[in-house]
Amino acid sequence: MIEAQGLTKVYGDKTAVGGVDFTVQAGRVTGFLGPNGAGKSTTMRMIMGLDRPTAGTVTVNGVPFARHVAPLREIGALLDAKAVHTSRSAYNHLLAMAATHSIPKKRVHEVIEMTGLADVARKKVKGFSLGMGQRLGIAAALLGDPQTIILDEPVNGLDPEGVVWVRNLVKFLASEGRTVFLSSHLMSEMALTADHLIVIGRGKIIADAPIKDIITGKGQTRTRVRTDQPDQLMNVLAGTGVSVEVQDHELLEVKGLDPRQIARAALDSRVMIYELTPLQASLEEAYMELTKDEVEYHSLITTGVPVPVQSGGN
Amino acid sequence: MSTSTVAQPGPRSAGPAHSSNARTASPGPGPSFFRVLNSEFIKFRTLLSTLILLAATAVVMVGFGALSAWGTGQFADAAGSDPQAAEALAAQGGDLAVTVPTSGIAFAQLILGSLGVLLMSSEFTTGMARSTFAAVPKRIPAFVAKLAVVMVSAFILTAVSTYVAGLVAVPILDNYGLKLDLASSQSIKLLLVNSAYVAAVAAIGMALGTLVRNSAGGIMSLVGLFFVAPIAFQLIPGDFFVEARKYLPGNTLTPLTAVEHVPDTLEVWQAGLVLGAWVVVPLALATILLKIRDV
Repeated sequence: MIEAQGLTKVYGDKTAVGGVDFTVQAGRVTGFLGPNGAGKSTTMRMIMGLDRPTAGTVTVNGVPFARHVAPLREIGALLDAKAVHTSRSAYNHLLAMAATHSIPKKRVHEVIEMTGLADVARKKVKGFSLGMGQRLGIAAALLGDPQTIILDEPVNGLDPEGVVWVRNLVKFLASEGRTVFLSSHLMSEMALTADHLIVIGRGKIIADAPIKDIITGKGQTRTRVRTDQPDQLMNVLAGTGVSVEVQDHELLEVKGLDPRQIARAALDSRVMIYELTPLQASLEEAYMELTKDEVEYHSLITTGVPVPVQSGGN
Repeated sequence: MSTSTVAQPGPRSAGPAHSSNARTASPGPGPSFFRVLNSEFIKFRTLLSTLILLAATAVVMVGFGALSAWGTGQFADAAGSDPQAAEALAAQGGDLAVTVPTSGIAFAQLILGSLGVLLMSSEFTTGMARSTFAAVPKRIPAFVAKLAVVMVSAFILTAVSTYVAGLVAVPILDNYGLKLDLASSQSIKLLLVNSAYVAAVAAIGMALGTLVRNSAGGIMSLVGLFFVAPIAFQLIPGDFFVEARKYLPGNTLTPLTAVEHVPDTLEVWQAGLVLGAWVVVPLALATILLKIRDV
């Protein structure tokens, strides 16, 4: 379990993380989502004791990271794909890390096998692709068989097979009762992997809830309706808190009413409808809605709608 | 093992299989100093660039020993006919041969001092520091372990290559009728003092690498301190610089190794203290900053 209380990091006059409180529970995958510069990596570095908080505390299993007797056996972290001296081989890197905790060579070979690095383990990390670097970082995180695993952007640069592997790995680790905390800006990936989400923007926690609640929570339910009498149906449905958008000749999108209410209104007014589909907001939409005021860097697309740079096409 | 195994005969208890939920308070051994030392030694020996610098030091020490033996022989030959050379020879206590094995020391200190800088600065430039200090979050043990590895390696390498340089120099000097006794007390003193001095320079390099966190900047600082400052201090007029020059770390070696006191240098005990301060102060500063700065 990771607990942050009033965790703050200020660089000069810029507040990277502004007094955040959150708890990452064991036994589930907690996603850490936020735009670029929102403070995700800074928060993770503070958890690992690499950056000193300006104020507040963060503990892992009740104890600040640095006070653990055997830190690598408590928490494993992938903070940066290449937190490695690139002139050293992957095997020697892991061996040196393992030596600090008397982790046997057998375990070094195990994590190399587990992460699919066996063919390149004796090669210098310099020649590694980003994906192989990620695998090495994950291998290092798993070295001490830790109860808590922190992964910063673990699927960055991985091929599709690697992405699926990471997804299954973190789910498996969580199913074993471990605490898994991973950041990503790939929302589709997050939707598939995480059970719980902590959304951060401009150094503040915007949302901290199960992923299902985030998806259904803020955005209103929308329903797609097809009818041969769109004008008549629009009149019937009109009311406070209801918005109807004509999307095509006979296609409407209704917000503010659920499908049952729409069907009842249509039946009462004898308007035939031939499609009634509840639409679920994607995580992406929910996230945009949540963070629209919080993104650090906006880019404008042609319609003038602000979108975050990282997911925008511009 | 367990109290609930009454019904089960035999020594092997039916305790629960390993479950990550049922962890004990102590999950296993943590970073003791000797484990961290072992880790730092693995890091030291698994970098090709480190091994190349070590080999270069040995080659330079032995090569300069041989060259210097030849040059000293020529000089001694000339001293027989040239009164000026004879005078210079006399000023050195008549024994030039004894300093031959350590004649490459200026280069050894440059290479191993730079190695000290690099081993620390590369931790930061490559991002390795994040791995190192995640494994050893108290940080100081990792720094001290690396310091120990660097200083001991620098000492041993300098001592061994000085001795080998001596072995190479003996037959060359012999050609010119000069005797070099590697077992003489002055030979042993030179070997030990020079080796300790190079270890001290490597330590200063490590401190600079930690403070600057940048390879080029660290090496430039080291070169500035050991090679530029002595020349600059000599060029700047004024008594202050004449006096200050004695206190530069590179100028403590002469008084520490001389048979008789050399003018314009510190006394032996002063030189020892000054060199010690040059090692201890930057290291203390580096240690404090390493502990409080973000990685």
